[in-house]
Amino acid sequence: MAEQETAAVGIDQAGGRIEISQQELDLRKRFLELGEDDVGRLTGINDLARRYANGVIDDFYRHLMSFGETRGFFADPQVLARVKNMQKEYFLRLTQGNYDLDYVRDRLRIGAIHERVQLPVKSYLGMYNFYLRAVAQRLADAFKKKPDDGWAAFLSLMKLTFLDIGIAIDTYIESRERTIRTQQEAFQELPTPVLPFREGMLIVPIIGIIDSQRARQLTEQLLSSIRSNRAKMVVIDITGVQSIDSKVANHIVQTVEAARLMGARVIIAGISPEIAQTMVTLGIDLARVLTVGDLQSGIERAEQMLGYTVTRSGAAEAVGG
Amino acid sequence: MRASILKQGTVLIASVQGSMTDADLAQMRDELVANVRRYRSTGVIIDVTLLDVMDSFAARTLRGIAQMIKLLGATAIIVGIQPEVAFSMVQLGLTLEGINTALDLEEGLALLKPPGIAVHER
Repeated sequence: MAEQETAAVGIDQAGGRIEISQQELDLRKRFLELGEDDVGRLTGINDLARRYANGVIDDFYRHLMSFGETRGFFADPQVLARVKNMQKEYFLRLTQGNYDLDYVRDRLRIGAIHERVQLPVKSYLGMYNFYLRAVAQRLADAFKKKPDDGWAAFLSLMKLTFLDIGIAIDTYIESRERTIRTQQEAFQELPTPVLPFREGMLIVPIIGIIDSQRARQLTEQLLSSIRSNRAKMVVIDITGVQSIDSKVANHIVQTVEAARLMGARVIIAGISPEIAQTMVTLGIDLARVLTVGDLQSGIERAEQMLGYTVTRSGAAEAVGG
Repeated sequence: MRASILKQGTVLIASVQGSMTDADLAQMRDELVANVRRYRSTGVIIDVTLLDVMDSFAARTLRGIAQMIKLLGATAIIVGIQPEVAFSMVQLGLTLEGINTALDLEEGLALLKPPGIAVHER
């Protein structure tokens, strides 16, 4: 038993894992007040459940098939037959006792399957509700002489069903969280390219959110690119940056100064009105930073400072002509 | 270790070594200032490529040298500050304001090239 205490079951979904420990299971059961009495009552109606199983399943799928949204999941009759069979097993398992970690593992697996086929949560919950109502009616009929026992059995069944629902919803939430995590990671890994534009000139377009980590990475990349490209001018375009905090803004100012120590001048282009307001409100000193409105002005300014003159040649007439 | 000071035409080139004590730096300052006067140099390049740490004393000394050289009528340029050194310097607030900087010796020499004299390759 001591071994059981520390045990846990989990299920791996693509890239994620849900784990429920014995302790957690006990806690969930306590919260639902699902005790030994309930187990007794549930196993007590097992025979009855076997008798009504087919009827409930048929009602259940008749209901499901009357909605286009859920019908779509069972277009193939072979699939339908298999799923019906699995569903029957699932329902019967509710009255077979042993609601232990193996039980949880099974429930996690089923939840994960439903999540994988992207059955909406509302349908999932609706199905549980339909099942409980279908069974309630049959219990009421069977316990006509002892309605209190029937009611108690139903309440026990409801507790267990809610334990299942909790587990199933966890698989859904885990999947969502995984998606969010993946997106966040992808976002953080957004590369910040340092592009050689002309001899001695770099362009650094920044898009998205700059956090401290990304700002640090940008600095390292920029300073080493200045050295390797022998750059004298750098244009950092922040048109695609929505917001900035004081830490990051200070970091940018420091980067500009560090670049100057290496003999390169930095022009910041495309500061949005919001960022301009933030910068001034935060009291960030940009007096020593050269700023221009947009990338075009930034490039023109940099070219001018490097002594480039860009002229239009006659050949341009051919474009679009 | 003492800094080596080379004379190249009208330009003095001082190379700061990786391990220089405060006394070494002070000595380099005195030599540079004396040599600018003696050789009537127009430019001084202080190459710190080998320096992997720049503390506040070193930064203050370099800044002082640059200002003194300016008073003597020459231009001082600090070259070869490495990326990591540059960033840690600004974090410490050692921004060497008003001092000329360049990527390396080559760029520094190009900055000192007197206007009006151009060398053309054929």
